[in-house]
Amino acid sequence: MTQFLSLLLNGISLGAMYALIALGFVIIFKASEVVSFTQGSLLLLGAYSIARLSEPIGFYPAVLVGILLTALAAFLIERLVINRLRGAPVISLAIVTIGVDIILLTELIRRIGSDILNVPHPWGSESVRIGEVGISQNRLIATGVAGVLIIVFFAAFKYSSWGVAMRASAEDGETAALMGIRLGRVSALAWIVAGALAAVAALFLVGAPTPGVSAAAYTVALRAFPAAILGGLDSTGGALVGGLLIGLAESFAAGYQDQLLFLGRGFGDVVPYVVMIAVLLVRPSGLFGTKELTRV
Amino acid sequence: MKLGKRSGSAVVLTAVLVTAATGCSNKAQDSGGGSAASGDASEVTTDVGVEGNTINLGVLTDLTGVFAALGNDITNANTMFWSDNKVCDTYDVKLDVQDTGYVPQQGVQLYSGMKDSILAMQQTIGSPINTALAPEYTSDQIVNFPSAWAQTLTEIPGTGVVGATYAVEIANGYDYMFQKGLLKEGDTVGHIYFEGEYGANGLAGTQAVAKEKGLKVVEAQIKSTDQDMSSQITQFKAAGVNMVALTVAPTQLASAAVAMEAQGLDVPILGSNPVFAPGLLAGPAANKIKQDLYVASPVSAFDQHEDLLKQYQAAYPDATPSLGVLVGVGMSELMKQVLDSACDNGDLTRQGVLDAFNGLENVDTNDVVVPIRGFEPGKSPSLESFILQPADVPGGAKVVQDAFEGQFAAAIAG
Repeated sequence: MTQFLSLLLNGISLGAMYALIALGFVIIFKASEVVSFTQGSLLLLGAYSIARLSEPIGFYPAVLVGILLTALAAFLIERLVINRLRGAPVISLAIVTIGVDIILLTELIRRIGSDILNVPHPWGSESVRIGEVGISQNRLIATGVAGVLIIVFFAAFKYSSWGVAMRASAEDGETAALMGIRLGRVSALAWIVAGALAAVAALFLVGAPTPGVSAAAYTVALRAFPAAILGGLDSTGGALVGGLLIGLAESFAAGYQDQLLFLGRGFGDVVPYVVMIAVLLVRPSGLFGTKELTRV
Repeated sequence: MKLGKRSGSAVVLTAVLVTAATGCSNKAQDSGGGSAASGDASEVTTDVGVEGNTINLGVLTDLTGVFAALGNDITNANTMFWSDNKVCDTYDVKLDVQDTGYVPQQGVQLYSGMKDSILAMQQTIGSPINTALAPEYTSDQIVNFPSAWAQTLTEIPGTGVVGATYAVEIANGYDYMFQKGLLKEGDTVGHIYFEGEYGANGLAGTQAVAKEKGLKVVEAQIKSTDQDMSSQITQFKAAGVNMVALTVAPTQLASAAVAMEAQGLDVPILGSNPVFAPGLLAGPAANKIKQDLYVASPVSAFDQHEDLLKQYQAAYPDATPSLGVLVGVGMSELMKQVLDSACDNGDLTRQGVLDAFNGLENVDTNDVVVPIRGFEPGKSPSLESFILQPADVPGGAKVVQDAFEGQFAAAIAG
């Protein structure tokens, strides 16, 4: 039972971080219908900046500057690349984001090398024990922050004029533009927010129980991808549920790998994708995604 | 250093002919050291990679990829060693250093660019690149020292793994744990290992020991990109493990250590040599690691080689030295002994160097690297390992057990 609860808690906390990253995918997709593959390198940029700046300027200022820097990088990607290609097929834009991602990633990996950069979280590796089950404070805080941010964005999409503009421009860009919505501004804002979210996720991802910034942190974003897709790429709630599903599936598959041996070693690694495919077979638009209706 | 039987008649014949023709003695063979007798380059046969009194050696390292910090340290150590040493007091060694960025394709291209100008490879970083280049190294008769310890690398002719393979290394680690009472017969051990050759080789060591000592092994295979070891540690805790073995990278060690603390799994950790990086001592895993981690290693630590540390810090004042420096010095020393021996034999051709390499036996590197018994295909070049523990010292670790051969080593080593 302890093992089950421990894996459950770990799965939820892992899922919360996936949800934060998935939310970035969702916001960009909602604003511009572009599937952005840059979240991984933006995440690493956030982690790298926070780790490098923590020593000279202190932890909290470093977090703030790290988030701003990552948001700025996302903004520049949108302005210098995506915005200039507006009108191009969305599939081309997605491929372009892969290119941008590789460039940014290569530079970051070169800078990080095989060093392990540490982020001096004030909560360190302290853990909280709930009965027999232990979880790191870092993960607990991350889960809370992710929950709050997801609620905030859920509300913002529904009620703020930015949210309405974003939904309108995603629905029908041309009509939205005719109605006076400035597509460029909506898109730029979405990228800024997605960048900031990646940095927030990064802040917790490089803390206990996975301390240290290394090039491998990048791959976490790839696991958030199935979370965003199975939740429905245009649904904030879907990002949360998708993230949690993937986090739980991964945690249980790794923790019970001896019982799952008939599926072969390393099953935990493919679990996110198995879950995604299973969900998409039943609901092609994802759990909460908008069904595409085409009138013929 | 002695010439072994395997060197075959070619070396003997060449040596006899050259000695007869030139009067160049072979006294280094029984002097036990690396110094050589021949002083005149014109007496030695050469082909590729030797120009006048200069020998060119290749270095395929990683200066910009994921192993950049390690690659820098090893390469700096190679450079430092050869700026102070000559081959049989005659030849200077010039290194052709190329950066693969840890990309095998890049390594293959860079090698094809340098292969007509080098005599041998002082260093090739990483199992994937060594494996990719194995056919070319074999056909070009290249003597090469990799900075990886996988069993498969010992199968490549001319490639000299610098110490015991991962299986032998971790088995020696187990021996130490048994000796110190940190593990008992019939205990349960959890082993987290990478998929691929490195992990498989480490796990093979655990399995061999488990068979001998009746250990129960809980295996957890991960990918090198997996970051979070919480679930694996939860699994181990549920299984009641008495020790955790790791054949992973430093990132996973950090995660495992933090998760063990969080979940109250208070047992020692035994690691293969690549698990440790000094950077971990600045992170949240530091306490657990300093207290409970034991690393089985093919190289010593700076506490036993302070002169080397000083020399390195003088040569590279801005670098934070890791144990990669000792790996670099050790592999350079091995190369020097191979080249000295070839030079003594009067044959600095690639074939001559390869013969000298095959003939090496019981090589001593002043305890920088574990004693090497010789390089035979498919066999672990050494049966010994050092045991290190992390500490707040340069290089991040100190020696707690000098090089020793554990009771399981000979059976696993081949």
